[in-house]
Amino acid sequence: MDLVKKPWFLGSVVVIFAAVVLWNIPIEKRKYGLSQSSLVTDYTGLLPERVERIVVADNRDDLQRIVKQANDNGQQISVAGLQHSQGGHTYYKDGVVVDMRSFNRILELDEHQKTIRVEAGATWEAVQEALLPYGLALKVTQSQSIFTIGGSLSVNAHGRDIRFGSMAETVKEMTLLTPAGEIMNVTRDDPDEWMKYVFGGYGLFGVILDVTLELTDNDLYVIQTEKLKTSEYPSYFTQLVNQQQTAMHYARVSVAPSSFLNEMYVINYNYTDKQDHKNFLKKEQGVRLSKIALDLGRQGGALEDLFWTMQKRYITSINNQEITRNNAMRSESTFMEYTKPGRVEVLQEFFVPVHAYTEYIEDVKQVIQANDKHDDFKVHNITIRYAAKDNFTTLNYAKEDMLGLVVLMQHGVKEEEVTNATSIIQRWTDITLEHGGTYYLPYYRYQTKEQFRRSYPAW
Amino acid sequence: MNDKTRRFLPLVVTVGQVVIFPYYIIWLKQVSLTFTLFAWFFAAFSFAAAWGYRIFQSKKNKNQSFICLIYLGMGVVYLLIGNIKNLSEVLPYMVLLLQVILGLLQGYFRAWHTEQDTYHLHAVHHYLIVGFAMIAFSFVTIISPVVFITVFGLLLCLCGVWEFIRERKESI
Repeated sequence: MDLVKKPWFLGSVVVIFAAVVLWNIPIEKRKYGLSQSSLVTDYTGLLPERVERIVVADNRDDLQRIVKQANDNGQQISVAGLQHSQGGHTYYKDGVVVDMRSFNRILELDEHQKTIRVEAGATWEAVQEALLPYGLALKVTQSQSIFTIGGSLSVNAHGRDIRFGSMAETVKEMTLLTPAGEIMNVTRDDPDEWMKYVFGGYGLFGVILDVTLELTDNDLYVIQTEKLKTSEYPSYFTQLVNQQQTAMHYARVSVAPSSFLNEMYVINYNYTDKQDHKNFLKKEQGVRLSKIALDLGRQGGALEDLFWTMQKRYITSINNQEITRNNAMRSESTFMEYTKPGRVEVLQEFFVPVHAYTEYIEDVKQVIQANDKHDDFKVHNITIRYAAKDNFTTLNYAKEDMLGLVVLMQHGVKEEEVTNATSIIQRWTDITLEHGGTYYLPYYRYQTKEQFRRSYPAW
Repeated sequence: MNDKTRRFLPLVVTVGQVVIFPYYIIWLKQVSLTFTLFAWFFAAFSFAAAWGYRIFQSKKNKNQSFICLIYLGMGVVYLLIGNIKNLSEVLPYMVLLLQVILGLLQGYFRAWHTEQDTYHLHAVHHYLIVGFAMIAFSFVTIISPVVFITVFGLLLCLCGVWEFIRERKESI
């Protein structure tokens, strides 16, 4: 007991306890999405709007009634899952928001046919948990598992897989609540081609109630990483696709001043002919350290160079590590959290044909600054993903084999700052269109209607 | 006058700390992201107070208390709390640091106060004054708790300066 009375002991208790609290202060701080007050915002918080009401989907009959009622009253209905889209896609002013998060059951898993039937409000994480005991994995999903099935299909998302085409192509069947309030079962050979419009249709063509997804084996891959020059990438990638040794792939381009858009590193998940028998799904790892590193990079200048060097070191360190397909499809996201009043971090994605990549990158150098330390508009990260040619959906962003540049950027929220960001992004979009590319629609609408029409002529 | 000040300054500080407590709690709850974190911030304060208490108790020369610096320190912490703006990214980390400093200073002050002749008299008086003060404050509409916290911070700084002048005069 005497020890407790020693000031040095009590001081140590304080220091240790404070360190523990410090380490456990949650990173996820922002409040967005649906709220009790019916004032909703998108993920960026840039588009607050008051909606008439938020309806939690309980059962199919209720949903049908809500849609018919809204039709009678001339009201607009929007569909919301976990609301990670940026740009207010999940609500209309004075409209009815259908919150699908409670519509989240796994309905059927066929181990032999390798299919799973799941409700649209379930997350990819929930699906992965259901698949794990059977040694199965998804064919196509996003690189993070935090989204809902309905949300991802509504934006026809893509991830790291380079073998199974678009996400829409992995859906065998779907139950749809049509805008007229009818519930119908839709298959791929449906003469009305509902799937073509609903997938990548942003909730405009009905409410997805459930889908049957095709599955594959939860194979074990070996990670192979490499550093490249930007100019070497198209030929490297074409060879990679042709060699058939790699199941999944992504890359990062440097946005650090000293190697700006010149250096890249690639991460490949190569087949090993082995399956996972450990049966575990990895949790978020190293979130705090990753956030500290990203925050360093956010400072720009020499610190962004340091961040790029750290990334390269990390990438080299994971070379030859083994990972399951399921785990490669659930990377960390919490570390990207950014909360600074007066500023916002947003995503944009530009698609450019594989063969046009090198010239495109050279042109992009004319739009964004190598050292944006003192600029309001900053680019923090560019990840490259493959989007295979999509002949399936109407609002398709990959009219041929494309490379998608997922860009994490930051700017202020004052009117002139948003105007400046809009102008830069519109110039970037113009360059993308000139190279035969498109831009992605789940994000904040910086682009003009003309740019939209050029990107999506089928609309 | 010196004697009166010596008697009443600790009473002002003690009463002020109790009166400001509800406002401080409102602020702390606002800046804590979860109840768990709120409780942990409190635990950090409590451990630091125990440390501060023992630091004073272990002092060999208790007449050299530096109590004016303690008043000033607490005042600065409350002023900082009242003026933290636009720092939501680092706010929880700052709150933790402020909780530890405040706990340390309050524990030290309390240990010092219990050694004063007037402590037991103050104990009764402070309960009564706090009671009446809280009834009075119940009629004041709160716009933001930080306004009260800032005012109390200023008051503590004044107490610190006053105590410093008093000590100087006493030493002369």
